[in-house]
Amino acid sequence: MNRPMTDRELLLRLGALARRHWRWLAGGTALALLSTLSGIGLLAVSGHFIAAMALVGAGGAAINYYTPAALIRLFAILRTGGRYVERLVTHEATLRVLADLRSWLFARLVPLAPARLGALRSAELFSRLRGDVDALEHAYLALLVPMAVAAITTLVVLVVVALYLPSLALLLAVVLAVAGLALPRWALRRGRAQGQVQGEALETLRALAADGVHGRAELALYGAETAHAARLAQATARQQAAQRRLDRLQALGGAGVTTLAQCTLVGALVLGLPALARGAISGPELTMLVLLAQAVFEAVAPLPDAWSQLGATLASARRVFTLADTAPAMVDPAEPQSPGQDSHLRIERLGLRYDEQAPWVLDGLDLDLPAGRRVAILGRSGSGKSSLVNALTRLYPYQRGQISLGGVPLARCTGDAVRERFAVVDQQPYLFDASLRDNLCLARPDASDAEIEQAIEQAQLKPMIARLPRGLDSWVGENGARVSGGEARRIAIARALLADAPILILDEPTEGLDALTAASLYKALARAMEGRSVILITHRLGGLSTLVDQVLRLDEGRLTPVPMQATARQQRA
Amino acid sequence: MSASRPRSAADTWLRAQRAPVKRLLSRGLMLGAAQALAMCGAAWMVAHVLSSAIFRHAGLGSLWPYLVALLVLAGMRLVLTLAQRRLTFEAGAQVSANVRERAEHELARRGPLWAKRQSSGELITRVVDGVEALVPYYARYLPQVGFAGMVPAIILICVLPADPWSSLILFLTAPLIPLFMVLAGWAAQSASEQRWLRLKRLGARFMDALSGLTTLRLCRAAAREQAALEAAGEAYRRDTMAVLRVAFLSGLVLEFFATVSIAVVAVLIGFRLMWGDLDFQSGLFVLLLAPEFFLPLRSMGAQRHQRMDAAAAAEDLAKLLGEQAPTKASTTVLASSATPDRASVAVAFERVSFAYDEGVPVLDELQLEVAAGRCLTLVGASGCGKSTALALLMGFAAPVAGEIRINGKPLHEMDVDSWRQQVAWVPQRAHVFHGSLRDNLLLARADADEQSLTAAVQAAGLSTVIARLPRGLDTPLGEHGRGLSGGEVQRLALARAWLRDAPLLLLDEPTQHLDSATAAQIDDALHRLMRGRTVIRVAHRLHAIADTDIVAVMAHGRIIERGAAGVLRARGGAFADLLASDLAA
Repeated sequence: MNRPMTDRELLLRLGALARRHWRWLAGGTALALLSTLSGIGLLAVSGHFIAAMALVGAGGAAINYYTPAALIRLFAILRTGGRYVERLVTHEATLRVLADLRSWLFARLVPLAPARLGALRSAELFSRLRGDVDALEHAYLALLVPMAVAAITTLVVLVVVALYLPSLALLLAVVLAVAGLALPRWALRRGRAQGQVQGEALETLRALAADGVHGRAELALYGAETAHAARLAQATARQQAAQRRLDRLQALGGAGVTTLAQCTLVGALVLGLPALARGAISGPELTMLVLLAQAVFEAVAPLPDAWSQLGATLASARRVFTLADTAPAMVDPAEPQSPGQDSHLRIERLGLRYDEQAPWVLDGLDLDLPAGRRVAILGRSGSGKSSLVNALTRLYPYQRGQISLGGVPLARCTGDAVRERFAVVDQQPYLFDASLRDNLCLARPDASDAEIEQAIEQAQLKPMIARLPRGLDSWVGENGARVSGGEARRIAIARALLADAPILILDEPTEGLDALTAASLYKALARAMEGRSVILITHRLGGLSTLVDQVLRLDEGRLTPVPMQATARQQRA
Repeated sequence: MSASRPRSAADTWLRAQRAPVKRLLSRGLMLGAAQALAMCGAAWMVAHVLSSAIFRHAGLGSLWPYLVALLVLAGMRLVLTLAQRRLTFEAGAQVSANVRERAEHELARRGPLWAKRQSSGELITRVVDGVEALVPYYARYLPQVGFAGMVPAIILICVLPADPWSSLILFLTAPLIPLFMVLAGWAAQSASEQRWLRLKRLGARFMDALSGLTTLRLCRAAAREQAALEAAGEAYRRDTMAVLRVAFLSGLVLEFFATVSIAVVAVLIGFRLMWGDLDFQSGLFVLLLAPEFFLPLRSMGAQRHQRMDAAAAAEDLAKLLGEQAPTKASTTVLASSATPDRASVAVAFERVSFAYDEGVPVLDELQLEVAAGRCLTLVGASGCGKSTALALLMGFAAPVAGEIRINGKPLHEMDVDSWRQQVAWVPQRAHVFHGSLRDNLLLARADADEQSLTAAVQAAGLSTVIARLPRGLDTPLGEHGRGLSGGEVQRLALARAWLRDAPLLLLDEPTQHLDSATAAQIDDALHRLMRGRTVIRVAHRLHAIADTDIVAVMAHGRIIERGAAGVLRARGGAFADLLASDLAA
């Protein structure tokens, strides 16, 4: 979508996401309404009751005091019980909507990885997405329910007031509109610019904090720590200045409602006292109206907060929807074929670029890889090695030429069907925050213990697992045991072995490893390669040359054979 | 249920941070009290106006001064509330600014070696968002706790002369509320804290799945992960609802007492009015104040999440600010701080030992000398302590035993800042700071003029890079130096070292992460930079070492072999072994 979404569209889409649970949402709102109206009714009836009783005490006629007393009890029970059930129901609704939202967003993001999610790699943007999703979770509880309750409560109270004193109803309508709509919206508009300043200041703070962690050595060595602390203090001050203005607006919104309620009360007396003198209304009725005019503001009071959340929530919704609406780089064909039986990979005149103006990254690349053959691809950084992997695994589209697997063009197969044939060992393998076993079995959830054991053996992971406190069930990843780069790569190799795919792609398997670690990795690799086609991608061949049949150089988007002495593998043959 | 709940470390820490803003907070409380008094006054006037009108048939003509007074009181309450919010906001802002400053100070104290071993995302969240979560706690929650105790007391005192019976009812229900809140609340609080934790974990799991999305796709596990996420969400919903059914009971108790006491007060007042025991004005006055009596307590419940956010942040921050630093940075400035000779620097490690967290020693009585103006190449398997030796030399940490001598003088007796000015460093992966390329260069020498900038840029081979950038030197580099490739970042580090123009040059495998063509270009520039300086170079590409270079081989924190590369190659010792495995690699 090129045009930015309007607020209305965003709200409609948020509503659409929750549609499946409308019964819960409607039920919660109805209960909230019931308890709010009961609270208001309790006060109004109480006022009427004591005024009527006082008139009786002052010598008036006897009245039926059972009905109002019973009403007071009823309202008290409805108020108390209603609030409890309402909170349960609205939370149930929120949790259901939340689960749907996450699931929906996840499904939308899957086809975008990695081609369209490049920007998400930065930690800052990532934490923002997380905040956005959290903000949307609260949209229903903090926005929808209070707004619906305020609208309906106001309407009911206005009708009741109009029955007794139409002029007061008119006044009330105007003041409630100011308190519930105009005032918060004014505060919201005034606050928008400050909110933006504050958001930007927070981003700056995050950036500075990141500099302070990653660049601590530079800061210390160059004597820049004092300057860095000063910049941090300055950014904090800027952020707090904006926050201060926002807080003042928010306070004004909240206290403004209270003040308007007071003014309404005076207005009710100004209109009610003459009506009482005229005999248009009775004393108890006047007392009731005055209390009603006060109590109705209880329903409006949450609105300033709700409105101020609305802006932030819409901004979050806009970012999330924009991301979710991104067109995937790859779409599976409508009538997919399966790749050919054998895994003979053939690349013909492959051309790939990242957008229409960009230079070709791959430009007429040819490769013929019969099943079981092993090639190494050498290239500088940025020469298109990773692009080739993405094209092979159907994560990124190519514009020219063709890749076929067993004689069937990849473009006619689904991405998953293609990826079933490839096992990829990434340059920086991602380890999930889960047990080592779960990380290993990612591609083969049904792998038997014997198979896992074998893969571990082949990937030279045994000593590492022996060191872990709970073996295979130890937690790795973000909150788990620290795993070194070499270990992570060996885990990825074991993962690829378990996946048991006919074609193995290794992306820089030894980068950043010292010679001894690399040597032990080669052993793992040599086992992993047995009986498989291999594409080994590296910028520095070194000892890897012993593992392959042929070495190719990737340069200017094309592959050219590198003349070399017979590789060790050929020598052995 | 135990009688007293032990205060957590987070609560203690949060309380301790209150000290410098106590005055602000207590002034805020006083304004809140004044606001409550104004409210009682307004209620009295409304009761007076209505009772005069209904029972003494007074009209607008005689009652208007009260209406004007009501408007004035409304204005006063507005001003008081705004002033109170302002004061308490300042309290929150001051605490958070203060904590952030201390956190930054703590990061500086713990030094680069510590920072490098932290999970950076967590640390950044801690000092930015965690500190931010403190503001509402001091600005809103703590004052609300004060109001919850104070405002009911003020109302009670006002109601007492008007109707002792009603105040007795309020007085009796009031202590019941905290009591019941305590009973239901303890369970509810720990339950809702658990819920809050689980919500965080669910969010973390979702984000973990998103981070590894490419891996999930490659392993065809995306659909499976989605099902797992849904199941986790569903389980979370069921658990949470079970917890909430109990947790909301405290709200129910509060609501019950608030509502029932209003109802009881209303009914009692009604009958006493009928019997003539009470005048209408007093009765209405009490009825008007009854809901206000419970309001602050209810607001406190609504703001409890602020306490939870703050407590979660406090737990992390208390750990950061309270923990003993594992290694001390030697930032002590001595009065007799000796400054080394600007022209040349000789370095000697004398039986230097170092370990992180009392763990395995990284350096083990390391003995190493480099004469002024000479170059030494350090080699060894990764993790043998090469980078740590450089870090100690830069004063990022102090040796556990032994000492480093610069031109014969102990390093720990020198002023660390003026010593660092004698050092230039090209790390494995230089950090690119947010800002322009110029800012990033000036970091190394803040007072560098345009001429020396240009010279450094040319020497490091950055000229072509700058020509490509839209705004040249002033192009903002964006997040993590976006727009610069790995090789360009290393050139930037080189230019910094050039600008620094220091007698001691430390090179920490500066070309390790680069392809050979780029590495060769950077090596050229490096050689020019090395001329005439004392150089310690950590090397990775062993075959590129010239025969005449002096090499020291490190293993397990010691030097095990030393000599000219050519000689060592021929000798067939540790260096030859390393070389062989490197060639095989």
